[in-house]
Amino acid sequence: MSKQAYHGPLERVSDWVWKIPRSYHPGMRVDGLIYSSEELIDQLIADQAPEQVANVAHLPGIQVASLAMPDIHWGYGFTIGGVCATDPDEGGVISPGGVGYDINCGVRLIRTNLTYRHVKPQLQQLVDELFRNIPAGTGRGGKYRFDRKELRTLMAEGPRALIDRGLATPRDIEYTEGHGRLDGADPDLVSERAYERGRDQCGTLGSGNHFLEVQIVESIHDAHAAEVMGLEKDMICVMIHSGSRGLGYQVCDDALRMLRGVPEKYGIELPDRQLACAPVNSPEGTHYLGAMRAAANFAWCNRQLLMTQARESFATVFGQTWEELGMDLVYDVAHNIAKFEQHDVGGVDKKVWVHRKGATRAFPPGHAEIPQAYQEIGQPVIIPGDMGRASWVLVGCEGSMRQTFGTTCHGAGRQLSRTAAVRQAQGRRIDKELLSRGVIARAQSWKGLAEEQPDAYKDVNLVVDVVHNAELSRKVARMKPIGVVKG
Amino acid sequence: MFETFDHTADLGLRIAAATREELFSEAARGLTAQIVENSEAIEPRETVVIEKSGDAVDYLLFDWLDELLYQYECKQLLFREFRIELSDHSLRAECVGEPVDPSRHRLAHEVKAITYHDFVVEPTPDGWRAEFIVDI
Repeated sequence: MSKQAYHGPLERVSDWVWKIPRSYHPGMRVDGLIYSSEELIDQLIADQAPEQVANVAHLPGIQVASLAMPDIHWGYGFTIGGVCATDPDEGGVISPGGVGYDINCGVRLIRTNLTYRHVKPQLQQLVDELFRNIPAGTGRGGKYRFDRKELRTLMAEGPRALIDRGLATPRDIEYTEGHGRLDGADPDLVSERAYERGRDQCGTLGSGNHFLEVQIVESIHDAHAAEVMGLEKDMICVMIHSGSRGLGYQVCDDALRMLRGVPEKYGIELPDRQLACAPVNSPEGTHYLGAMRAAANFAWCNRQLLMTQARESFATVFGQTWEELGMDLVYDVAHNIAKFEQHDVGGVDKKVWVHRKGATRAFPPGHAEIPQAYQEIGQPVIIPGDMGRASWVLVGCEGSMRQTFGTTCHGAGRQLSRTAAVRQAQGRRIDKELLSRGVIARAQSWKGLAEEQPDAYKDVNLVVDVVHNAELSRKVARMKPIGVVKG
Repeated sequence: MFETFDHTADLGLRIAAATREELFSEAARGLTAQIVENSEAIEPRETVVIEKSGDAVDYLLFDWLDELLYQYECKQLLFREFRIELSDHSLRAECVGEPVDPSRHRLAHEVKAITYHDFVVEPTPDGWRAEFIVDI
């Protein structure tokens, strides 16, 4: 089906929230709630994303509402930017589509002791070195090879398994969401094909919207929180966006094949096959969860090794060790994942499966699952924007726990399809245009850069305004890209 | 023939063919063209036989395309010609192509997966049509 506008009901319930009432479709179990603003809402109804929010509301055991963040756009099955919590004790399901193919796609931010003034004369050299050192793009394996036994360990343990090889530090693990490990990962449930696809891909960026960026802290919006994170105005940082590579895509693909006919077996009626799911407490649900957790742990290892290679490149260019350059991990967040979390649901404390499909955990100050150093400020949330304008660092706040199962947005959200972006880029040199904006970009393909050009995305500032004003998370710092490595 | 259609985050492919066999080979060509911009540069150097079985024609097409992604990602093979034999429940395909060579093949997208969202295979007055979305 080609792009079509949404014509269903959409009722404004507050400054930042629009509702799709459950009366829209007889199968909806809860309302759909979309966080947005007057500036963003027209774009949002230009495609089928709201219909997908309504579709997710059909899932058995769904709690409160099918939620959508202001960066939502049309996905497959779930909307990208969707949040859905299910209660296993009420027949709640787990849905691989609610996590996505790129299991534990996410973002990490690394600070440095460098400022723009230091880096500017060597920026071209730095971007070239990063581009040379970090495998990116389709068909490129990495320099790290793991045999089957080692891959099993990575999937079971996450990046802490890399400490002994000198590829991670205990501090890196401390500053990774969930310490870079989902308990209950079962590498035995990961298929041979997934092992094969993952074998040489740990430590590779991939293509599509994945990137590594050198950024400057452009403005500080919460001085205390920025200080706690070690961020200052004009500081150089590195942002990395990637996930579980072919291993994760294969785990999702295998799960969806396993689930053919399964919803029918459990009497679950779905409006879209891509929403295929199984009760959490079923053999199929257990199987997917074991494999999904293994892929998520692999993704954290991937981002860890990407960071390791970025540190190497900085050390090569600036002639100092990464420790001397102060290249500490600020935080690492997942934005395609399902986690079993404790939440207050209508006054009752419950453990629910929170699916975040293009959405980021945003736990408030004092939450037990965030690092000691961030207890007072809340969990850092890293929001990549586009390669020309800005990205953001936020912190989680109390409002996310009350409204969205501790969740906020994950990015700018696309506004142009890939084909439309390529049409718009005909006859243009996106790299030259970026250079005129002060951004040095290197990509494996012209098409990749054309599809990911800044105009393909919504204005991330508008998206962040919504989550800030709706008190899902709070602004800390705005980052401006100056160097981009793309697949 | 195949064409792409707009999908906000990913890419849609629309295939039309006179027969089911042609539909399968056109879909394979369409998918390959998303991976490599100049798919005409793929040389016919080796043949791989792929066999799949399944109850429904849509799942069979899905599994066929999925297998081609696997051949590319794990065996580094790109194909240009497809000789398809189809029965009601099975597929046998001779795929002719070569290992990927980045110096000659302009790689465009990493296709993560074929998705089930709006996956359509159906007969038309002129033959067969299919639509599917790939995750980029």
